[in-house]
Amino acid sequence: MKQVYLDYQSAKPVDPRVVEGMARYFTEDFGNPSSLHKVGDVATDALEESRKKIAKYINADEDEIIFTSGATEAINLGIMGYAFRNKTKGNHIIISEVEHISIHNIAKYLEREGFQISKVPVDQYGMVDVGKIEQRIRDETILISVGMASNEIGTVQPINEIGKLAAERGIAFHTDAVAAEALLPIDVRKDNINLMALSSNDFYGPRGVGVMYMQKRYRVNPMIIGGGQERGLRSGSEDIPGIVGMSLATEIVQKEMDSEVKRLQGYRDRMIKQVLEEVPDSHLNGHPTNRLASNAHFRFDGIEGESILLSFKDLGVSVSTGSACTSKTLEPSHTLIATGLLHEEAHGSLQLTSGRFNTDDDIDKALEAVPNVVSRLRKLSPIYKSK
Amino acid sequence: MKSTKYSEKVLDHFRNPRNVGTLEGDDVAVGKVGNPTCGDIMEVFIRIDGDTITDAKFRTFGCGSAIATTSMTTEMVKGMSLDEAMKLTRRDVAEELDGLPPIKMHCSNLAADALHEAIKSYRRRKGEEVPDDKKEVEEEIECLVGKDEFLSKGVYLTVKDPNDFKNKRTIVLYSGDESVDAAINLTEVTDRVILLTPDETLVISPELAERLSGSNVKVLYQSRLLEVLGEGEVEKAKIYNIDEDEKYDLYVDAILIIE
Repeated sequence: MKQVYLDYQSAKPVDPRVVEGMARYFTEDFGNPSSLHKVGDVATDALEESRKKIAKYINADEDEIIFTSGATEAINLGIMGYAFRNKTKGNHIIISEVEHISIHNIAKYLEREGFQISKVPVDQYGMVDVGKIEQRIRDETILISVGMASNEIGTVQPINEIGKLAAERGIAFHTDAVAAEALLPIDVRKDNINLMALSSNDFYGPRGVGVMYMQKRYRVNPMIIGGGQERGLRSGSEDIPGIVGMSLATEIVQKEMDSEVKRLQGYRDRMIKQVLEEVPDSHLNGHPTNRLASNAHFRFDGIEGESILLSFKDLGVSVSTGSACTSKTLEPSHTLIATGLLHEEAHGSLQLTSGRFNTDDDIDKALEAVPNVVSRLRKLSPIYKSK
Repeated sequence: MKSTKYSEKVLDHFRNPRNVGTLEGDDVAVGKVGNPTCGDIMEVFIRIDGDTITDAKFRTFGCGSAIATTSMTTEMVKGMSLDEAMKLTRRDVAEELDGLPPIKMHCSNLAADALHEAIKSYRRRKGEEVPDDKKEVEEEIECLVGKDEFLSKGVYLTVKDPNDFKNKRTIVLYSGDESVDAAINLTEVTDRVILLTPDETLVISPELAERLSGSNVKVLYQSRLLEVLGEGEVEKAKIYNIDEDEKYDLYVDAILIIE
């Protein structure tokens, strides 16, 4: 059965043009940038050329780019590395309730290490209120971290205002930009971003590569100690094919994002309109307009998300849910709970995220499935009562 | 093991559940179990002739394994005596389904429990002594913490201006017809209104009940507001579910307490 893939938020295919561009760095130009011979020089050129391209794409300087093994490592380095480096200045960190789970877990770890964490609540659409961040700022606050957009419900955060506030108060501003990649322009200067995490895969590059952007005059403690690569901040021989792949991926995004976003927005708006119209007692999660072009996120009264996911699987459509029954902890999505939903409501959610290789037919197929899946499961449900 | 890595038998019962529905009659008993944290609610209906289960039906809100285990349970118990059915365990059901992912064993395999509840309620009805292992919930009235601190910072004692509630996630504490009326009216300014009552039903006039069921107000029964939380203004409410004996936080912006 041909699979319809509508889970781009979980993983993206690597663009074939990227794979093509990476190939020779596995076999021909395989050198180690630390080597001083010709083969090593070729690798150094590839590394620095890639760094330059990515820096240019986010409006940073090349010495502000640190390559890592992915976004999780970049987040660890950006938040934990910054916290430990600056703990003499203060021990208080502010994050939002709707950060990616990796940031919540880092916050938990930092609390055990003596840091204090304040979490900023969001409104019913998942949007952070800058005033609520301000209320939480203390003399000891050293870092504010708010993601550019929610990886789950797609709500876009007012990071320009948050960056401005942090700058005024002399507090470092970290943002996890992963969910926004290839969907929103990223400009670290314009938005006063001091630290930022990027993932290669979310630009349609290979997995296992990421970037921590760190503005000049900001400092972090390294998390990985070794041969001193990446100015000592991230030791370990550089993954040249992966890094080249990430830079090629950002180049494509730079050229094609505007038209791609328009196309995805069309899919999204069609999905939202049709599902809310056709399925009774269905609701949109996240912001009605201020949301990622790729993200349509619904909840249906009286049914459970894993059952929805399994039903779609049988129909050849790959989707995602915020239900507890699919998570490792058996807790429902913290993001949905933060928007004010009850557990039973958060359980019935369906996340459809589209991307570069989706077609109109894919959207049609998914939309055709939704009403049937929902009504079958509601017939089984003891708690669904139609109005 | 991946939590959705199900056996073919589980998937078959998920795709084609057996015995979906309800049963009615004097010879029918119902068992209901649920775990709201994990998100499963199951109802098992059995028809009993003398000492034998002659028919069984179910309804389930829950994940794939929850649906499959209740479906399988209803298949297994038909023809069993009540004593045999009382001995049916979660493990028996899981084995009959060729196993369940370990993470799903404890929470979604409640179907056997629902069956046992049904049998117990039947026996109780017949006047038999059945030990009640359900914990008696203490009915002590706990006082609400934080109400005064948040007055006019999200806690309101009356609706002076509906615009105070515009687009705010609002909890209304049930205190009679006036509170229900206020909750319904607030749906004109916000799409999230939750009516909280410690009781199992609302004692209100039929006209009001009809307006309520036609409105967007979400009613949370057997629920009590324990504490108002927030940084300077209302941000969260700590709620106690009496039935489940469970406390949880609900993110809200406003709380209306008409005394």
